Amino acid sequence: MILWLRVTLSRLQAVFLKGRLDREFDDELRDHLEALGEQYEAAGMSREEARRAAVRKLGNQQQLREANRDYRGLPLLETAAQDFRYALRTLWKNRGFASIAVVMLALGIGLCSCLFSYHNALVLQPAPGVREPARLVALQAPVTYPYFESYRDASGVASAAAVFIGPVPFGIGLDGAGAGRPERIFGHLVSADYFSTIGAEPSLGRFFDPAKERTGTAATVVVSERFWRMRLNADPGVVGRILRINGQRATIVGVGRKGFLGVFPAATADIFLPLTVDAAFAPELAGDVLHNANSPVFNCVFRLAPKMSIAAAETALDGQTKRLNEHAGKDRDTNRNRRGRLIQLVMAGGVSPMSIEQRSIFAGIFGLMMGLILSFTCANLAGLMLARGSARGKEIAIRLSVGATRSRLIRQLLVESVTIATIGGAAGLAVTYGLLNLLSDFLAGSAPFASEIRVTPDLRVTLLTFAISALAGAGFGLMPALATTRPDLMTGLKGAATAGLGRHRRFSMRNLFMVYQVASAMALVLVVGFMITGIRQGMSRDPGFDTAGLYLFSIDPARDGYSPDESAAMLTRLPERLGRLNGVEGVTLAEPGPFNNLAAPNTDVSTTGPGAQESTHRVSLQTIGPDFFATLHAPVLRGMEFGSRDLRSDPGTDAILPAVINHSAAKELFGDVDPLGRVIRQGARSFQVAGVVRFGMPSFFKKEAMPTVFLPLTMKNLRRGTKGFRVAFRARPGLDFTAIRGELEAIDSRLTMFDPRTMQEQLTMLDRSVQYTTAIYPAVGLFALILACVGLAGVTAQDVARRRREIGIRMALGAHRWQVLRLVMMQGTAMVLIGSSIGFAGAYGFSRVLGSMAAEVAKVVDSNAGNPMLSVGAPLLLVLLSAIACYLPARRSTTIDPLIVLREE
Amino acid sequence: MTQAKLDLLQGTLDLMVLRTLSVLGPLHGYGIARRIEQVSGDEVLLNQGTIYASLVRLQQRGWIKAAWGVSGNNRRAKYYSLTKAGQKKLAAGTENWERTTAMMSRFLTMGDGGAQ
Repeated sequence: MILWLRVTLSRLQAVFLKGRLDREFDDELRDHLEALGEQYEAAGMSREEARRAAVRKLGNQQQLREANRDYRGLPLLETAAQDFRYALRTLWKNRGFASIAVVMLALGIGLCSCLFSYHNALVLQPAPGVREPARLVALQAPVTYPYFESYRDASGVASAAAVFIGPVPFGIGLDGAGAGRPERIFGHLVSADYFSTIGAEPSLGRFFDPAKERTGTAATVVVSERFWRMRLNADPGVVGRILRINGQRATIVGVGRKGFLGVFPAATADIFLPLTVDAAFAPELAGDVLHNANSPVFNCVFRLAPKMSIAAAETALDGQTKRLNEHAGKDRDTNRNRRGRLIQLVMAGGVSPMSIEQRSIFAGIFGLMMGLILSFTCANLAGLMLARGSARGKEIAIRLSVGATRSRLIRQLLVESVTIATIGGAAGLAVTYGLLNLLSDFLAGSAPFASEIRVTPDLRVTLLTFAISALAGAGFGLMPALATTRPDLMTGLKGAATAGLGRHRRFSMRNLFMVYQVASAMALVLVVGFMITGIRQGMSRDPGFDTAGLYLFSIDPARDGYSPDESAAMLTRLPERLGRLNGVEGVTLAEPGPFNNLAAPNTDVSTTGPGAQESTHRVSLQTIGPDFFATLHAPVLRGMEFGSRDLRSDPGTDAILPAVINHSAAKELFGDVDPLGRVIRQGARSFQVAGVVRFGMPSFFKKEAMPTVFLPLTMKNLRRGTKGFRVAFRARPGLDFTAIRGELEAIDSRLTMFDPRTMQEQLTMLDRSVQYTTAIYPAVGLFALILACVGLAGVTAQDVARRRREIGIRMALGAHRWQVLRLVMMQGTAMVLIGSSIGFAGAYGFSRVLGSMAAEVAKVVDSNAGNPMLSVGAPLLLVLLSAIACYLPARRSTTIDPLIVLREE
Repeated sequence: MTQAKLDLLQGTLDLMVLRTLSVLGPLHGYGIARRIEQVSGDEVLLNQGTIYASLVRLQQRGWIKAAWGVSGNNRRAKYYSLTKAGQKKLAAGTENWERTTAMMSRFLTMGDGGAQ
């Protein structure tokens, strides 16, 4: 072992002392020769004879030198360095080829690792600070506390269970002087076993304890590490300090670990209050929700018992729900979801809750895109390498004929491929970081306390992608190397084109790669197009009202310390007082919902059809005040909207409320029948349709406006007010909120205005959130197009170079320029046409597969299959671009001078 | 077959070089080659240049060391000399060689011994 080390070191040393050792060895040989010569002269030879005898005796000096060099140094390393230098030189000479290959690798590697990082951040990454996230599940919809207790005790399903209400906003202030206005921060109202169930640990103090956090004990609060760092100056003695929450005092007992932001960090939670605190801390707790059988507000999180699968747990909890419903005498059996279940379990360990189906859709889309990009890059590289390899036949033949060994040549070609891959890989890393920085900047536009999803590059994936592309490059660099180094010197020396003349090249490897590339480019562009148009479809749609001069702001009197009655009294007067301000034309009040409605419709309602049969529909349910549509300038199509009589009413739980529905709800619920006067049921409640309006907020995956049912704000809502309220008003454009703020101050100095903005800004914000989720798709589509074109251009250029001789002869025999051009273009065009058709079919096939997994996607595909922009535009664009990509290098064929070409013979 | 014979020769040559340096003291390449030729005739070296491969190998293993010196007729030459490790190697190599040859000769003369 030591001997081996010593030899290696000595050899390594020799590599660096190469020049000196060479000179020394020459000296040594000369000494030897002279000594030999003297010996022979002494034996009686003439000087000349002696010299010749000495040379003979010593042996071939050149061979000795080379043997000496090989023995003493590291021949493999030295030839590798030689090959590397040679590779750099040849690549520099072929800058076009080299830069195309490098750009392709850089984009491929960069995009793949970006995609994965993105997927990782949105789907795969577990919620920070959570133990064994894979074993956590949650109920998709909130339930009542008695139901939760029953689920928790259901034997064998969960080893731990917890509930929380949230995310809910809190008005948070620091205790003591200089505290300033309270800040609106989101958090969870949690059961005492919340932290132990999800397996979070405190970094300071303690978390909640069922023995200590009981009804009637002094209020305690846990804060996130982020809140502690940003608002409490990372005070190490923070445990025991007082925090003002909605005007009430609570003692900080613990701080979470770094990164922990509740069980679903996509909707962050920074404040954790026990459910046992007084309702003054949180209006959500009013009405004794813990014992109320009519308050389905609790989100349930379970840690699955060992060996319990999600499907088995869902079956068990579904059965439990059925029994509970029967026991309570409730006919909730109509509320079955698409899979025939009363409840749905979702995976809870990630950044946001996600069903298994959603997860596989995400994985499918990302997997497809990554697979396509990767194979695409490889195919493109391979095509280039093959083209280049065949164009180099002559060079290789010459080198073989002057005595290069085959292994040495292959080694050199491999080194060339690896060099390209290395440069490309480095550039790919740069692209990855650049793209992700762009994405992060895009994200940073949001408020400081918004979601903390981090998209960070995943080094493993970058390396893997790099390795695969490098292997592909090396592999395809090797294939032509093997083919062209086959000792068939004569053909090679005569010129590669001769070899090509007689052979059928139509289905060569290279053409196959090109077809594949065009096909996958087509598929990528289409799939990406489906995604973008699907998600954005609703975004650009006319919301049905006039946004110019519309302003919005929010208030949350309950969190400003109002009692329910104070709140109701203030809110009934507010629109009128604001309306009296100079320049304000109309004011209306609503719950926060109607203008941030990106969520899919989430409430099941049922109607009775003509044949007395029930049908269930999913709608968005919103609560609005008087003059809502008048203020918005949204046309009321039938009936009338709510008036102030509705606002002042105080209906009992079984009263039939009036409802206003929008046009798409009317179509969905009643078809062509006149909806006025019809009854809509939601659980135990009933509404009677009093009006139809044109109104539709943007939504994902929807062509039609989201079906929406509006209910009137009543005294009951005004008193409860758990979500706060949104005030919308119309005023002259260019208004700042000074006058409004002044008026609010005059009404009550406690009242805090938040989120003041124009309606246009509000819509833009919604748009932004969609842009964020779709940001990466255009990049993918663009990449596909660029790659396909670059690949085509490269291959066509190589083709022209290869067929120089053939073209020269054709022209000498009288072919026109355009005929030659057609000859060269025809092959490219054929490949583009075949490839596009395959890609077209593939994209639709894939969408069908996705569609069978999720109804939303199926709808998108259905609505897009006939979308002329995509199904006609995309192929046209691709064909056009690739025709240009073919034409530019093909044009060179017309400049071939037959005289020059034929003289090269 | 050729390879195996070459390997044996190489090992033999290394031992010869070590022995030469041990007997004659520091010596240049020509001197070593000449000495080996004198002792063994032309049976070992294909030509005198062959000796240099062996010299590099022995140097790498640290068994001999080289230094530039002045030869008898006042010419600069590279002198090789045995190191401590080289002496040990020579001793071990010699013993190994003697045992091998003794064993081989016993083996190859066994038939004669059986006849006695």
